[in-house]
Amino acid sequence: MDIYFLPKDELTELIEILRETGKVFWTRERDLPSNLENIRTIRIEELDEEYIMDYRVPGLRAYDIFKSFLLPLNFKVAEYPDKKWIDVELNAKKTVLLGLKSCDLVAFSMLDAVFLEDPEFMDPFYKKNRESIVIVSSDCSRIGDSCFCNLLGNTPYATSGFDLNISEVSDGYLLESGSPLGEEILEELSLPGARKKGIEERDKRREKVLKDLEKQNSKFLKAFSDLSKLVSEGYYRDEGWEPGSTCVSCGACTNVCPVCYCFTLFDRFDKKGEKSKRFMVWDSCQYKGFSQMAGGMNPRFPMMERFKNRYYHKFFRFYERYGKYKCTGCGRCIDNCLGDIDMREVLASVKIGKVVK
Amino acid sequence: MDNIYYPRGTVVTDIKEDTPTIKTFHFELDEPLTYKAGQFMQLTVPGIGEAPFTPSSCPGEVREMEITVLQTGRVTDALHNEIKVGDRLGLRGPFGKGYPMERFAGKEILIVGGGVGLAPLRSLIYALFDRIDDFKKISICYGAKTPHDLCFRDEFDEWTKKPNTSLNLTIDNPHPDWDGTVGLVTCLLEKERIDVDIKNSYVVSCGPEVMLKFVTLKLMDVGFKANQIYLSMNRRMSCGIGKCARCNIGPYYLCKDGPDMCYEDIKDYPNVFE
Repeated sequence: MDIYFLPKDELTELIEILRETGKVFWTRERDLPSNLENIRTIRIEELDEEYIMDYRVPGLRAYDIFKSFLLPLNFKVAEYPDKKWIDVELNAKKTVLLGLKSCDLVAFSMLDAVFLEDPEFMDPFYKKNRESIVIVSSDCSRIGDSCFCNLLGNTPYATSGFDLNISEVSDGYLLESGSPLGEEILEELSLPGARKKGIEERDKRREKVLKDLEKQNSKFLKAFSDLSKLVSEGYYRDEGWEPGSTCVSCGACTNVCPVCYCFTLFDRFDKKGEKSKRFMVWDSCQYKGFSQMAGGMNPRFPMMERFKNRYYHKFFRFYERYGKYKCTGCGRCIDNCLGDIDMREVLASVKIGKVVK
Repeated sequence: MDNIYYPRGTVVTDIKEDTPTIKTFHFELDEPLTYKAGQFMQLTVPGIGEAPFTPSSCPGEVREMEITVLQTGRVTDALHNEIKVGDRLGLRGPFGKGYPMERFAGKEILIVGGGVGLAPLRSLIYALFDRIDDFKKISICYGAKTPHDLCFRDEFDEWTKKPNTSLNLTIDNPHPDWDGTVGLVTCLLEKERIDVDIKNSYVVSCGPEVMLKFVTLKLMDVGFKANQIYLSMNRRMSCGIGKCARCNIGPYYLCKDGPDMCYEDIKDYPNVFE
């Protein structure tokens, strides 16, 4: 796809077109007291006219996740008894998401694998939500302390998975479309093609951020390249899990993870007690009751068994089923951990090899 | 678009009390469905929720189905205490792979059940009876806490009348109403008691996980190989379709790849037995 140039002061025009396309949610960097870390000040929120004029796409991923737009915290999936299957109507109204980073898009592609591309059991609710969103992503222009997407083979800029991608350069933005819809939006803006100089600057900026990431994470490089051994040789051994010992099973890591999708189905009567409703609710493999059965048996009772299970799922089971690690390297689990656990340090510490019985 | 979370309607046409804590519910389905031995259903009690059960009735293309339920949790409490003949419940499924019946063909089949664990095995037993000439022998070993906890007692005579079929029973502790074998079900698997051509057989077992553990150890001890042993690994499940991610052992989702797993496939992974 071609790349176009958007002068700095015309970003508002792009935003206006996005508003015509659907309801816009953007990431916005807020002015908050400086004792809060930089990432926490970038939040996803509904577009607010007050800020359109001064709006700049944040240079870093948001503190929140976009998962909720595809899999809300809880939503009704069935009402019964009913004579026929509940109809899932397609949402005509689009939702435009602005400011996603490469890691957010990688997360979407993983959720797609589970909920959309499963030939046997496609999730109609996910499909509906997925088809109603318009993705406007942007390059990272800086890195957070917890960012480690490079260790998982991802980049701090997106090359696919978006309708439109925004790259900030010194005198404006480069816009690249990744879908017919993105193309339409660009046509409406009737922009000049990007100059070679502009593209070179974009590539240089991208290179710089990637270098920063590589520098920040260099000491973990081996741990992550060893992950392929985990898959080929089987499972983790029971050694080296000490960095996880401060886990308190709060479930924050899974709730802020853009790819964790564990859920439970919860039924209840409506207020009149006539119809039953079934909800799909976020769950967490870190909760004690997650695998607990009627009668009290719990195959993963000790905290550490649940802690390990999360890593098994991300770096072994998911890989076996879908051919990729279920981690984008966004680092949100690190930012939010009450036990101050850093996934990179855990992976650097555990020993790889088949379980010896 | 099909809604994978929506339960299909079914009506309870009979409830039979097997033991003081186990009831068999007979259903008539709104729409016929086809299921294989070992596949399971998610049974919905309206407003309460779902729980996974392998039917205890004969598999195939069916309009009716039986599910045998031990009272032990929220959904099963509701089933036992509130559900009456004529009530409407919901069903999703069938889910899971089912037993590898083709692999079983031509072999001796040893069935080891404990307590309500005989319920899903009853479905397998019927499936085996359906084509009994394909199997050399069917040996059923079944144990329960007391004589009154044995399920399907009224069918035992019929089972043992089938050609090449044997049934051995045991109860955990001596009981005034019992003059048969006393001991855990593993005692029926002792080398001197087990009457099976070990090299030419498959074992299928279902029961509490602690029983499965000791049954497996005993079977390995008397000479079975891990690839001859199929265990019914019934863990907590919610979606039934390999998405909600709670019922796994190693890379397998028990709801999608099981719930009956070949011991060979799972033995090296953590948390196989509690």
